Amino acid sequence: MLSSAVKFAVSATSRTIRCLHGSAAVCSDKLFVHRDTPENNASLTFEFSAENKKRADLIIGHYPKGHQAAATIPLLDIAQRQSGGWLPISAMNYVADLLKMPRIRIYEVATFYTMFNREPVGKYRVQVCSTTPCVLGGCGCGVIIDALKQKLGINVGETTKDKMFSLGEVECLGACVNAPVVSINDSYYEDLTPKDIDVIIDELKAGKVPKAGPRSGRFTAEPASGLTTLTEPPKPAGFGVRKDL
Amino acid sequence: MASRLIRQSQGATKIVKQILSTDKAEARRRVLNLYKAWYRQIPYVVLNYEIPGVTVKDGRVKLREMFMKNKHVTDLRAIDFLVIRGQMELVETVNIWKQKNHIMTWFKDTWNPKPADFLSKFYEGN
Amino acid sequence: MATLLKIWPLMGRRILGNPAACLACKSARTASGSSDQPEVELFVNDIPVSVPPGTTVLQACAEVGVQIPRFCYHDRLSIAGNCRMCLVEVEKSAKPVASCAMPVMKGMRVKTDSEIARKAREGVMEFLLMNHPLDCPICDQGGECDLQDQSMVFGSDRSRFVDMDHEGKRAVEDKDIGPLVKTIMTRCIQCTRCVRFANEIAGVEEIGTTGRGSDMQIGTYVEKLFGSELSGNIIDICPVGALTSKPYAFTARPWENRKTESIDVMDALGSNIIVATREGSVIRILPRLHEDINEEWLSDRSRFAYDGLKRQRLVSPMVKDASGTLVSCEWEDAFFTILDRLTGVTGSEIAAIAGGHADAESLIVLKDLLNRLGSEALCTEEIFPMDAAGTDLRSNYLLNTQISGIEEAEVVLLVGTNPRYEAPLLNARIRKSWLHNDLTVGVIGPQLDLTYEYDHLGDSTKVLQELAAGTHPFNKVLSSTKRAMIIVGSAVLQRADGGAIHAAMSTLAQNHRVKSGCDESWRVLNVLQRVASQVAALDLGYKAGVQVVRDNPPKVLYLLGADEQTVTKADLPSDCFVVYQGCHGDAGASMADVVLPGAAYTEKVGTYVNTEGRAQQTQVAVTPPGMAREDWKIIRALSEIVGQTLPYDNLNEVRRRLAQMSPNLTRYGDVEEANYFKQAEELAKSVKSSLASDALTPPQLSLKDFYMVDSISRASQTMAHCVAAVTKAEAK
Repeated sequence: MLSSAVKFAVSATSRTIRCLHGSAAVCSDKLFVHRDTPENNASLTFEFSAENKKRADLIIGHYPKGHQAAATIPLLDIAQRQSGGWLPISAMNYVADLLKMPRIRIYEVATFYTMFNREPVGKYRVQVCSTTPCVLGGCGCGVIIDALKQKLGINVGETTKDKMFSLGEVECLGACVNAPVVSINDSYYEDLTPKDIDVIIDELKAGKVPKAGPRSGRFTAEPASGLTTLTEPPKPAGFGVRKDL
Repeated sequence: MASRLIRQSQGATKIVKQILSTDKAEARRRVLNLYKAWYRQIPYVVLNYEIPGVTVKDGRVKLREMFMKNKHVTDLRAIDFLVIRGQMELVETVNIWKQKNHIMTWFKDTWNPKPADFLSKFYEGN
Repeated sequence: MATLLKIWPLMGRRILGNPAACLACKSARTASGSSDQPEVELFVNDIPVSVPPGTTVLQACAEVGVQIPRFCYHDRLSIAGNCRMCLVEVEKSAKPVASCAMPVMKGMRVKTDSEIARKAREGVMEFLLMNHPLDCPICDQGGECDLQDQSMVFGSDRSRFVDMDHEGKRAVEDKDIGPLVKTIMTRCIQCTRCVRFANEIAGVEEIGTTGRGSDMQIGTYVEKLFGSELSGNIIDICPVGALTSKPYAFTARPWENRKTESIDVMDALGSNIIVATREGSVIRILPRLHEDINEEWLSDRSRFAYDGLKRQRLVSPMVKDASGTLVSCEWEDAFFTILDRLTGVTGSEIAAIAGGHADAESLIVLKDLLNRLGSEALCTEEIFPMDAAGTDLRSNYLLNTQISGIEEAEVVLLVGTNPRYEAPLLNARIRKSWLHNDLTVGVIGPQLDLTYEYDHLGDSTKVLQELAAGTHPFNKVLSSTKRAMIIVGSAVLQRADGGAIHAAMSTLAQNHRVKSGCDESWRVLNVLQRVASQVAALDLGYKAGVQVVRDNPPKVLYLLGADEQTVTKADLPSDCFVVYQGCHGDAGASMADVVLPGAAYTEKVGTYVNTEGRAQQTQVAVTPPGMAREDWKIIRALSEIVGQTLPYDNLNEVRRRLAQMSPNLTRYGDVEEANYFKQAEELAKSVKSSLASDALTPPQLSLKDFYMVDSISRASQTMAHCVAAVTKAEAK
């Protein structure tokens, strides 16, 4: 009787040790295969504009002969910028042909890096940082996301009907001191409050370019409560040096 | 096995250990006894096994045929061996350890000899 | 990802960055220990072993007979090191080491069966199985699955992946990459063997890894056909059931199959194959290792055309009746019909044509029969120029340097051939040599994608003249090396000026041999045959080409598997009596008056000599269907009917006769080398015909032309699907 109870207890503990619950694989919401759509298929043509062609040639020229593959990412970036913030399949094919690479090698790169958008996105890609410092810092990114959702009328991962704004949650943008942070296309908007969101979005809608950077009046990443060190004027030359020198 | 049975004598001749019979007459007696035993048993075999189209007479003809098939055997040991086998068959038949088809194989009318020459083998398919 | 990018050749030819990777690809060469550096000594499970520097730990372990489990590592592919199954413990190393990518170091103490190593493998296996579906009962790989086997040996007895919230495993949608390879991508463990095979061996860079992290998947990104003539090999190298054979799907379990080691006859290379049979029919064909011919690969035609063995078969003898339709009959009837027609016909009015799948046994028996009847008109369908030395000197029609010789060559000149489709594995050899040995390739012929870069010298015969005269710029390339190969496609030798082409190349080759001062044993001139029977037929003294038949239209024509319509009814007198012997109801049978059903290559023991001159034999995997018989037996039986009984009754006697005619035909497995290049070249000077002006174009130009070239592949549904798929892909 006793032994069976012990046995049960042991098996129960061993089971709990065994049954570590692993979280399910976190999967991306993106597709990693191509599906032809009217706006994204290989029969559409893509070509660098004369200006971008010049840029591309310059970049390719940086690399020694036989190593043109190194220009893949910059060229894809140019292609993405030229085609309105996303990378159609025809642009990837164009870059592959330009670099004389097998197309699949370009697809591999474009699908690996999350900053290449392989589906059409809004003109302004609003990306809210949702990593821990931004959750905790300032008003917290949760409030910012709610404000954006309300302002734009879309959910995370969606694009407004007028194809102006795409809203996304991303991991650390690397500006933790100025939390919460939102990046819109190439600019960072920092130290945000829901009110700032209203202003920024309204300005963008009006076709203006809102000023990037912290909104709290800080210049960059200095302490919000003013300087805590280096408060006095710098010492003159020769300060603290031995007299006999 | 055989080497154990063959004893090398002093001279050049080999003396072979007998199985049952010591001389020809004994071997002959054994064969006849077996034949008679089978002969008497055949009516019961036909009755028990109900082979279609086989009468007692057919059975006896077959018995004679099978004995005559080995009439060229002169070696006493070979004769004894055949007799032992015949007895085994008889026991198996009497006790109905055999089945109908085992008896029927003795009456295989449609058994064609295997072809020997190339062309017949070819037509046969091998 | 970073490791992968470093090691994989991304585009074109690049010396592989990793010494171990180079080594893997040239394992044959390093095995001889050619490097000057002293060997490194290390200890595997305390057993000392010395290996050349640059060897990987995994290979060093193999030296002492310790097999390390692996998924991504493959002898013939570059090293990826991403499956982590080959982890071993190395003393004084902080972590277990991936032995496939770790070069050996002096005094290393490797432990392959320590607690750490076992734990590491068990952990890797658990992670692999976490996202692997447990669908072994419905998986075609079951029974020959590396994952299955290794999880039995190295895995844990249970999983900690319990899926309490029913969130499910990772799932990946299947891809459609053509009618040959079935994909179930959820089973994929991302070993990337198929990707590396496509990049390195097949040279068709269409498969890659897309996405990242747990989203990473293997595929073509855009839905497209994997358009390679070697695509079937990714089924073999896939360690799990992600890539399986579409035609073989749900057919049989490997342990149910009877395996017969045989030879392939779909091209002239004589690839070694395993014919798997079950319930009396061929259910799949797999490659068999032969380092000098096919390594461990097989072309798609050889691998997948087997369903043609069950269709369009001739299963009983047939005789044409009064109304002109072929009617099934008994063997005697067919033979006596032939006998009727043969009486009163003189020997000179009989001729025979041998097709591409005829084995040496039937060739010799047919030759003996016709010779006894007084006829010398025996020829092959494939033409070979008979001017000058013609087929008298074997060196004229063999791939003298041999297939493995390509790896030693420094320059290869391809003349009027498309090796990619005529002999895919020869082409894979050229690509291998081009990738790893800096091979220079020149091509005379149309500009095609051969999976490697080459100097295109044009496609006119003028180039040949210039080369022979030594005035072409490519002569400089040739003279810079002592190891040059000239491979002439047999397709261009079919032309009227074939003799002149051969003579020009013979002169070029001989000039090169003399000028470069190359080793006497190094042969330069090579002819790449297209059909399996040709070399044996020429060795036995068959005349190449059907000109004989055209010149003297026969009264009785015997077709031994001749289906290429080189002679049609229109070429023959209206009263010509045609006998067709073969396995398939194709062009030959449709013009015949009597049809004798023969055996296909999987149904008979037959001798085939490949384009190198290597005699090999097929084995019986299944019995011929219906009333079909082995080919030599049919002719031997016929000889008895017509009163010219041939003096052999069994295979050994036929083989003895073969050896009498040409001893090399029964030296199985050996290459009988040819010589007399100098004499051939001297004789070639007497060639009268001059080069025509038409372009040198081989017949198989695109993948579409590759699949259906003989009676078996024409009868194959799988091959038809392939043609349809390629046509559709091209139309896109």
